[in-house]
Amino acid sequence: MKTANDLTALRDRLLEASLPHVPFDGWSLEALRRGAADAGLGVDAVERAFPRGAVDAVAHFIDKADRDMLAALDGLDLPSLKIRERIALAVRTRLEQAAPHKEAVRKALAFTALPQHAGLAAKSLYRTVDSIWYAAGDTATDFNFYTKRALLAGVYSSTLLYWLEDRSEDSADSWAFLDRRIANVMQIPKLTGTLKSLATRLPNPMLLFKGPGRGRA
Amino acid sequence: MTKRTGEDRLPGDLAPKELVERMIRVDHAGEYGAARIYEGQLAVLGRSPSAATIRHMREQEQAHLDTFSRMIVERRVRPTALQPVWHVAGFALGAATALMGEKAAMACTVAVEEVIDEHYREQAEKLGDDESGLRDTIERFRAEELEHRDIGYDHGAAETPGFELLRGAVKAGSRLAIWLSQRV
Repeated sequence: MKTANDLTALRDRLLEASLPHVPFDGWSLEALRRGAADAGLGVDAVERAFPRGAVDAVAHFIDKADRDMLAALDGLDLPSLKIRERIALAVRTRLEQAAPHKEAVRKALAFTALPQHAGLAAKSLYRTVDSIWYAAGDTATDFNFYTKRALLAGVYSSTLLYWLEDRSEDSADSWAFLDRRIANVMQIPKLTGTLKSLATRLPNPMLLFKGPGRGRA
Repeated sequence: MTKRTGEDRLPGDLAPKELVERMIRVDHAGEYGAARIYEGQLAVLGRSPSAATIRHMREQEQAHLDTFSRMIVERRVRPTALQPVWHVAGFALGAATALMGEKAAMACTVAVEEVIDEHYREQAEKLGDDESGLRDTIERFRAEELEHRDIGYDHGAAETPGFELLRGAVKAGSRLAIWLSQRV
């Protein structure tokens, strides 16, 4: 019996074989069919692995990048680092892993920028930043869960765009850019902290309900 | 024969994984709301004779909340985005009923815990043996929520003027909160 794992393995294999064709054919059925032929898979493999064609292939490409990043970070000693260093390392790991397929990443970005793929773009960006926070050991279960992911989405997508155009040695400029973006975000808690300390100075409305003789020691 | 989670699902129903994620999300939100209701009651009744009882129930809700918080992190479940709403609404409900008197506060407890009892029973029925750990946790929490309901009745919840009306309103609100927290 075929299991979900077999399907993931087939998708991984087909994706790997198709990637060299993506810079020329874009994210298209053409690239996937050529990939299937290169990998020695039958003509039906494309439809079995990616029934909706290029959309499924791009989604799987991003999903595989998330999994590879998590696997790589699993082998590193993240808990010894500060949170901001963990995030920087995770983003860097992810982009370094994507470096051999920079052109495919660029094409995937153009593909997901199409209006009809807005859902895929939002979902995959969420999965990516969620994976990074998961690797960083985030334990937020309140609304901070969303602010953290939203802030990282901004940091990650701007760094991704910078990295695509970065011609510096070992992408050193990108990592400096990433550090500056994280430094920007680190300013926000300082701001909200000031607001919160102002809020604590407001009188507590519940004191009104205590009534005379009660609530005063 | 062992039962699997979501084995009786039909095409178009939620996948088992999504079903379990929704359960954890709504349970986390519910325990958070419950803890906030008791906090609201304590803000008003902090020095009344029933304060110790309310504090005991609050502590149990906090323990439940911690359990679901751990599950959210471990299983990578998205928490509800409505938490700021429950933060305010739970506290307001607790404080408002407490201002109507200790018995009204207990009537509020009865109504909320009755809805949670139904809700946990439905969840436990849907979970299969592959999620027996989660099912046992939910069953254990359900027993404690029922205990809270009985505490409410023992403290004269049913003697509140307009008890049926108040209970109906709080139950409807709680069901709406459950429906929303599963999804948002």
